[in-house]
Amino acid sequence: MDVIITRQDNTTTARFIGRLDTPASQEISKEVDALIDAADGTLILDCKEMSYISSSGLRIFLTLRKASSSKGGKIIVRNINNDIRQVFIMTGFLNLFTIED
Amino acid sequence: MGGGVLLVLVAAITLEATSLIQNHFAKKGITEEASLRAEAQMEATRLEILNVIDQAEAAVRSMAWAALWGLDHLDTLPALTRRIVADNPVIIGSTVALVPGYNKRRPLYAPYACQAADSDSVIIKSLATEEYNYPGKEWFTKPIETGQGYWSEPYLDEGGGEVMMTTYSIPIKDRQGTTAAVLTADISLDWLTDLVGNVEVYPSAFSIMLSRQGKFMVCPSETLVMRQTIQEALATVQDTASVNSLARDMLAGESGSRAIPYKDITEYVYFAPIERTGWSMSIVIPSNEIFDEIRKMNWLVKLFQLLGLVMLVLIIRSVFRNQSKYRQLTESKNRMENELRIASGIQMAMLPKIFPPFPERKDIDMFAAIIPAKEVGGDLYDFFIREEKLYFCIGDVSGKGVPASLLMAVTRSLFRTVAAHEKSPQRIVTTINESMSDMNENNMFVTFFCGVLDLATGHMRYCNAGHNTPRWISDRVQPLPVVPNLSIGVLPGMSYQEQEIDLKYGDTLFFYTDGLTEAANANQELFGEDRMDRCLDSGRNAQQQLSHMQDAVNAFVKEADQSDDLTMLCIRYLNPDTPDSQVHHLILHNDIRQISQLANFIQTLSEEKHLDPSLAMSLNLALEEAVSNVIMYAYPKDSDGLVEIEAILKDNLLEFFISDNGQPFDPTEAPQADVTLSAEERPIGGLGIYLVRSIMDSVSYERADGKNILHLTKQI
Repeated sequence: MDVIITRQDNTTTARFIGRLDTPASQEISKEVDALIDAADGTLILDCKEMSYISSSGLRIFLTLRKASSSKGGKIIVRNINNDIRQVFIMTGFLNLFTIED
Repeated sequence: MGGGVLLVLVAAITLEATSLIQNHFAKKGITEEASLRAEAQMEATRLEILNVIDQAEAAVRSMAWAALWGLDHLDTLPALTRRIVADNPVIIGSTVALVPGYNKRRPLYAPYACQAADSDSVIIKSLATEEYNYPGKEWFTKPIETGQGYWSEPYLDEGGGEVMMTTYSIPIKDRQGTTAAVLTADISLDWLTDLVGNVEVYPSAFSIMLSRQGKFMVCPSETLVMRQTIQEALATVQDTASVNSLARDMLAGESGSRAIPYKDITEYVYFAPIERTGWSMSIVIPSNEIFDEIRKMNWLVKLFQLLGLVMLVLIIRSVFRNQSKYRQLTESKNRMENELRIASGIQMAMLPKIFPPFPERKDIDMFAAIIPAKEVGGDLYDFFIREEKLYFCIGDVSGKGVPASLLMAVTRSLFRTVAAHEKSPQRIVTTINESMSDMNENNMFVTFFCGVLDLATGHMRYCNAGHNTPRWISDRVQPLPVVPNLSIGVLPGMSYQEQEIDLKYGDTLFFYTDGLTEAANANQELFGEDRMDRCLDSGRNAQQQLSHMQDAVNAFVKEADQSDDLTMLCIRYLNPDTPDSQVHHLILHNDIRQISQLANFIQTLSEEKHLDPSLAMSLNLALEEAVSNVIMYAYPKDSDGLVEIEAILKDNLLEFFISDNGQPFDPTEAPQADVTLSAEERPIGGLGIYLVRSIMDSVSYERADGKNILHLTKQI
């Protein structure tokens, strides 16, 4: 799993590439910290290249969601595939995020 | 080759430097030697000349009193001179010449005795002739002038022939002290040319003797002798400064040596005076002559040096050639070994390798593996089905390396050939043994087990030829009863004993080579049969048996080198009427990173069962959640533990059994996550088991045999 973070003005985009499984969730803790720091602006979580997510990945998304709302920022999840969308539906995450394609 | 060139260069420079130094000292030594030789020669010559001179002087002096007496008796004087000549071989002529007017009666009187030219007799002549005019002669005037004995300038004998002569004369004084006469002795100097001219110091050395006035007395060019003086000779040559100074010193009666450049070479001149006579003698040695020997020696030395260098070059070349030959040899040896390794690899590749080997058959589950050691070995197995019977074998050729691997190839092809028409394993083994014993010149042998399993009945006939006892796993693990028999290739004509058993459905046979039981760890402990037996479990399929065994061996030997091939063959006899079910197995350590292996596990499963990718993903998710729960919570932190996952697909029901030996933990009792809460209200955790429940049809927990077993099912 790679997370590529780019920043433009007040908008921080994170591209998630690969499988966000339990080990991967632990590996990307630095990137997550960076995103929490940037949660006062707009966070875009681009999942176009993310093929899989497990509950630990979902926890990261939820953590960012909480950070964003507590800092008064905005969070957008982009380009989730159908399988991940099913997981989002199953877990009620679809209602927690603004989902864009 | 660069090192070699450098070596030769250094050797050449060192040799040249030594020879230069040696040359320098040799030159010095040789120069000194030349001067010693020249001086010794001159001294010898001088002594010989002086010997003659002394004789003449002594003879003359001894007659002085007789001459004095003869002044008063003039007629005795001819006899006196005759006596001098007769008595002294070196003296060839003598006279007593009166000072003119001393005797009133005979104003000029000089009787002269001399050797007759043609005989030994002495004749008397008179020198008191008008044409000779003796009072004007040097030999007469000089002694009177000086009052001492005087050696005349050498001159050529006017009377008889061209003989070089010199005259010694002394004044004779009467009792009143008046000089009355001069007494003389003539000596021939014809021996001088021989004596002086014959310098033997060096082949082309020569000597020159000069008179008091510089006349050549001895000289290599005979035309100059007595005809020219050195001064006249020098006037004809150019650039004579050094020669002039030499001539000056010689005429001044000095001794010494000079290096005179002459034409291209340097002439070394050694010179010394001959006392009393006023002569000066010199020996001239051309420098090339002096150094001729050194030059010859130098040539010799150079030749040897060159020879040495050539030899050095040859040696270095041959060393290099040997090295490259050695390299080539090593290369070709490596190549050969590689080729043989490839050959053995090909042979190995010809062993059945595709598992399951009979995917269309439900009555047989087989798996085999050879884990080759670094050095090629001679393990083999083979099997095929003919007329509803499974023919199989396993063997281990004694020894290692290429011979073993070749014998293994032979054994395998013999098995193929013989088993193609023989039904009895005993016949198969006996026939192979006959062929092998016949051609076995290297005294190699093969432990071999051959079996024929009737797939319809489960009846198995087998023959063991000294191979490790196989295991029979039914309700328990037990050794297959075998008579040991002799290994194949040991003894021709050996009769092998055949045995038989009946297998039940689900029975497993496990065959191995000693590479398994003798696998050693770093402490040289062997894996052994007990460890092996403990790894065998009737609940596993053939592949699982082998992968379990291999894991156990790996865990045991750790980093130690594998010294022998390790071969295993597992045959499980199954009821062909059992519904299609297959068990997949995965064991993970309690390390969260191992979670990623689940993806492959699910991938294999879904490919085999043609599962929909979305379903595969959600199964992966459910499994990950259940397993990561165990990994993170079942075992105390930092302790080792395993999670075992079994996937069974029977008909359309997929079952997962996730078991561990950790502390009792029932995830189904964990509180349900409420997915309807807002982001702010939702706790971070608790999603895992919720996802498992959502994806799977049923989730149940059981604690049994000290294990947590989570059972998941899904209809697909």
